[in-house]
Amino acid sequence: MEARPALSIQRSGASQLSNHVVAGGLSSSLPALSTHLEETCQKFPNTQQAHAERELMTRPLAHATLLPANNGVVGHIFSSSSGFSSDIHYSSALPNEQNSRNSPFISQSPINTAALPLSQSSNSLLPQSTIPSHHNKENSGSWCTDPDFLDFPVNTPVLSSQVENGSCSGIMRSEDFGKQNDWQEWADQLITSDDALTSNWNELLVDSDMNLEPKTAYQVAKPCTTVPAQNQQLPSPSVESHSVVIPSSSANNAPAKPRMRWTPELHEAFVEAVNQLGGSERATPKGVLKLMKVEGLTIYHVKSHLQKYRTARYRPEPSEGSSEKKLTSMEEISSLDLKAGMGITEALRLQMEVQKRLHEQLEIQRNLQLRIEEQGRYLQMMFEKQKSGLDKLKGSSSNPENPPAPSDATNESPTKIELESSQRGNGNSGTGTVNAKSMLERSPQEVCGEHTTPETVDLEKAETHVSESSSQQPSKRPRIEE
Amino acid sequence: MKFGKWLKQQIEETLPAWRDKFLSYKELKKLVRLISSAESPEYGKVDAEAEFVYLLNNEIDKFNAFFMEQEEDFIIRHRELQQGIERVIDTWGPNGTKPSQAEYNDEMAKVRKDIVDFHGEMVLLVNYSNVNYTGLGKILKKYDKWTGRLLRLPFIQKVLEQPFFVTDLVSKLVKECENTIDEVFPVEVEEEIVKVQREAIKVAGKGVFRNTVTALLSMQEIRRGSSTYGHFSLPPLDLPDSDLIHSFQLNSPIPTV
Repeated sequence: MEARPALSIQRSGASQLSNHVVAGGLSSSLPALSTHLEETCQKFPNTQQAHAERELMTRPLAHATLLPANNGVVGHIFSSSSGFSSDIHYSSALPNEQNSRNSPFISQSPINTAALPLSQSSNSLLPQSTIPSHHNKENSGSWCTDPDFLDFPVNTPVLSSQVENGSCSGIMRSEDFGKQNDWQEWADQLITSDDALTSNWNELLVDSDMNLEPKTAYQVAKPCTTVPAQNQQLPSPSVESHSVVIPSSSANNAPAKPRMRWTPELHEAFVEAVNQLGGSERATPKGVLKLMKVEGLTIYHVKSHLQKYRTARYRPEPSEGSSEKKLTSMEEISSLDLKAGMGITEALRLQMEVQKRLHEQLEIQRNLQLRIEEQGRYLQMMFEKQKSGLDKLKGSSSNPENPPAPSDATNESPTKIELESSQRGNGNSGTGTVNAKSMLERSPQEVCGEHTTPETVDLEKAETHVSESSSQQPSKRPRIEE
Repeated sequence: MKFGKWLKQQIEETLPAWRDKFLSYKELKKLVRLISSAESPEYGKVDAEAEFVYLLNNEIDKFNAFFMEQEEDFIIRHRELQQGIERVIDTWGPNGTKPSQAEYNDEMAKVRKDIVDFHGEMVLLVNYSNVNYTGLGKILKKYDKWTGRLLRLPFIQKVLEQPFFVTDLVSKLVKECENTIDEVFPVEVEEEIVKVQREAIKVAGKGVFRNTVTALLSMQEIRRGSSTYGHFSLPPLDLPDSDLIHSFQLNSPIPTV
């Protein structure tokens, strides 16, 4: 394909861009972006090819505002984009769902953001072997009309991410590392005021929201992400904090920025940088960003954090609870007058006690919830394992009432019996799945009652429980009382 | 008590700025009913599920954003408080540059109050996380029940990894706060403890304190027992000083605005 050589350059460009979007936040000034892309464009001597590309290039330029200078926006796009992939013809070859489920979100978003400006062109010229060349035309077509256009950037991240995650990810990464430095400077240039762009972006967001809503499929957004994926791409040993991209589909989100999860260590580094620059008033976000040298930290993060920091230092009772605090101090004074013996200290101690208690209980509750879900997951796994086993069994024997074949482990038999009785009980309640699920749900009831009992014992108990009376399912639910 | 009602209470009682950050349980519940009642073809059901998931994800985004923002604020405040204490000790403490018992006491009193309120706010954030998680669990359970689908288990697994649910950092800050407070407060004397307990009632009017009392008691309430107690339900809450804490609630002269 003619487009191939151009593609590879573009894609490498994309990867570089991606690093920058992550590192520097492409609150891009269009001119800078356009000039760069134009340069890339000019590398292609072939007039025909160049023309086509330039056409495609200008589109992304014109719409470069879509660049989620804020990864969050990309994230936003990304979150709903998986649903869109079905709209795109060329998605057929791409393991859409797999990618969105398996790959941690953030690993894709940088690629997405990067890929966005170029992907808009690169999509049509997708080097991926899976993408047939005729899609070029389709893409150019889709470029013409606005609604398509709005859909398009949404679509592209999916593709690009899948593309990246697919065969080329290895290539991408090596390219990333190699060309990172150039892009650092380039991105620095781009880091100017983001206001103009973000307002554009917001408008587009709103529009794209309309498009997004009806199409969002289930595999949409793991809203969260994990760090390891990102670290694979951008080796950043210093980043303990996680640049979590929040796919925010709500149009209300003002510049949907990627949300950084701050840690005390990171904050410490921040404060040090600020102090080096002469204090919170004199330090600038750009300066702090440079000093901190933290991968994945954008100027946007630093800006907002600096703002918070300044507020915290110069108005020691920051906005959040200020009205409350005024109230509180008034209450305090009056209550102090009332109470003869109780000083502030005692009152505070009391407050502490309650708060401590609450916290304790919250922790306990949280641990319990975690364990419950763990149990549920474990049983679900058992259930599924057993189901496949049972299906085989059913294949060999036509009578579902047959007692279960001698099972390998005690653990397995209870679930098998559950399955049997669930089938018997099919007539009683709803669908087989619901039934089986309720059976599945009931067995852990025993487990819950004894927090420390090992799981095998619990399952055995469940087994006896279940085999006793499978037809009494509904009544058994409230049976457990503590 | 029904969860919807309980949640509404929590929201009313919480810090005003937090009120719109909670789960839109009612709306989601309505949607579930709508989905289950609609006699739609298979495609329609899939669409509805997608819509439901979409909304849930939005809610999760909301929680995450709010939670992390608060967390960031806490990190900053925590450090500032620590610094503040050091400053007080270094300036007006016995070994400080301008040792002054009076000043020290004054400043320390302010610091103590700040720390305790700060501690309270953090705990409230953890509570916020928990309330919303519980809500999500319940709405998912409803969804599964009414549509016969199995959305709950995989979805909740996803939720467990969400930033807003991983409250480890905030809990750590809370514990550090508690340590700091132990150091900063004068040693507790027996008589004081008794006095404290006797005079308890009048204290509960305070902002953050009031919220924490409410949160604690609400937690007990919601876990009292339910009609649909299942394997995924939590056991009732064991609060030894429940009566004492209840007494905190009697006096609330100033309604939260």
